[in-house]
This record gives sequence, structure tokens and C-alpha cells, in this order.
Amino acid sequence: MLWCMTNPGGRRSQLLRGVLDLCLLAVMSEGPAYGYEMTKRLKARGLSIVGEGSIYPLLGRLEHDGLVETRRAASNGGPPRKYYSLSPEGERVLEAGVKEWQATRDAVDGALDLVKEEVSP
Amino acid sequence: VNEFVEECRREWKVLGVPDSIASEMALDLTTDIEEAEAEGGSAEDVLGSSLFDPRGFAQAFAAKASDPLVPSVPSAPRTLSFLGRFSSRPWPLLAGTLMILTVLDAMVAVAAAVVLGHNSSAVAAPIQRVLRLPGSSPLFGPGPATPPARFFMPGPLFAVNHGGVFATLALAVLVVVLVGLGLAMLVWFLWARRHHWHEHQ
Repeated sequence: MLWCMTNPGGRRSQLLRGVLDLCLLAVMSEGPAYGYEMTKRLKARGLSIVGEGSIYPLLGRLEHDGLVETRRAASNGGPPRKYYSLSPEGERVLEAGVKEWQATRDAVDGALDLVKEEVSP
Repeated sequence: VNEFVEECRREWKVLGVPDSIASEMALDLTTDIEEAEAEGGSAEDVLGSSLFDPRGFAQAFAAKASDPLVPSVPSAPRTLSFLGRFSSRPWPLLAGTLMILTVLDAMVAVAAAVVLGHNSSAVAAPIQRVLRLPGSSPLFGPGPATPPARFFMPGPLFAVNHGGVFATLALAVLVVVLVGLGLAMLVWFLWARRHHWHEHQ
């Protein structure tokens, strides 16, 4: 915790870790995607996660938890890729997670605005 | 790419991941990395900091991907939960049993060395050489001189023909002790590694 307070990169990493599964579910809601394709989608939305490690173990966890469904299909004539898509349970979790994130974000924004008012002259 | 994937495959083999799953994971990795490189990127664009820790990556990847294949332990009645816990995680039980057997063997070996040493030098001498009991070379440098006769008093009962037999038995026990100790350490190491792997997730 202290490390996070003194290291902005560490804080960002911790924050991302808590919502990365939600972000993956969100990009999957655009349509089925394989691992690297999801990394690119996240990057296109301004979220570069490569510094935080790979998404593969997390995808495995989402599959294990039944939040995503997988199928193998050829892509552009290349070898078959493993495509991930949202399961019905995943859609429910995504919807609930978005609400939860928005509530948390609003609460944190409120707290940080309060601090900003206190420190401003 | 190949080096990273091969390192992952070696780790998956060590972890006991089925070949079919390991091959799928390796294929997914390879195709994604090759695509990134074809687009002018690098493996780091796909793997991030994991690129520099292939073993850690392989462990994390395998732990999630293999979970559905691990047979679940059916819920046991309360009275059987103790046994059920061991049946689902046999490593600590196995290591503990080996340790106990090894300690018992060691006690038997030392007792044999001491008791039979009074009766036959042929019995005690080999054990004495291994354990460095007083009377042979001192363990921590030269100490007070101990009369060898105190531990090597040939007795009339065992001194004639039984010495060789007992010496062989004593050595066999010692070998069992050492092998048991080695096995216990190996099992404990494997269990600790597996435990660390699961904790890491």
C-alpha cells in the first residue's frame, strides 16, 4: 500500500488489475476476438496493458468462471485461433461491473474534488 | 518467440499440463506473437513484462487453463473431511509420512549402532564411520580422547559369526534412511513448488 502511495506507476497497476477483467469483457462485447486482438482493441481505446503483464491468464480465468465462451476458427487463412466471446453470464457480470465501476468512480471523484477544494486557496 | 514458447512448454510439462492443452496454449501464443511481429511490433506487445518471466507466465497461464480438467473432490461428510483433505492434497501427507519413517529408521540405526557396538566391532564400525560417533573421527575437530574400547568391546555373544550379518543389516537401514530422507526432501520440494504456484494465482 505504501509502495502504491509513493509510486504512481504502482498505483496505476493496482487500479488496472482490479478492472482489467471488466475491460476485457467490454471489448469482447464488440464481438468475438482472440487474445492479441483484444490487446489491440484495448490499446485503440487508450488502455495499454502490456506493461501490466499478459492478458492470457486472465482470459483463462474468465473462461473457467463461465463468463466467456470459446471456439476455434481460422483467421485470414492462418492457423485456427481461439476466439473468446461473452457468455450470457458474462453479459450480466459486465453490466453489473459497469454500474459498480461508475458508482466507485463517482465516489472517488467526489472524495478527490473535496481534497482539491480544501487545498486550493 | 520459439525460445519463450519452448520455455513455457518445458514448464507446463513439469507442472503436468496435458499435452493437448499445452499444444493449444503454445499455438495461441505463437500465432499472436507472430502477428504482432508481422505488424512491426514485438513479442513484448503481446506479453508485456511477462516476456521476461516465461516460467511465471507459464504457471499463471496453465493454472487458469487447466482448472476445468482438475477433478473436483466431492463434498465429504464432516467426519471424513480430514481424510478428504488429504486425498485432494496428498503431497504433505506423503512427505510427512516419509519424514516420520526416515526419523524412525534413523533412530533404529543409531540404536543398533550403540547397542550392537558393545558387542561387535564388525557391527558398529560401518555405522560409526558414517555417523562419526565417539570412537571414530570426531565430528567437530579433535576433542577429548575417548577410549575406543568403550564402544568397541567385542562381546562373546555376537562376535563370532553374526557380526557380518548385523553389519549388513545396519548398513541397509542406513541406506533406507538416506534414501527416505532424499525422497522426503524431493516430495516436500515438489509440494512446496506446487503450493507456491497455486498461491501465486
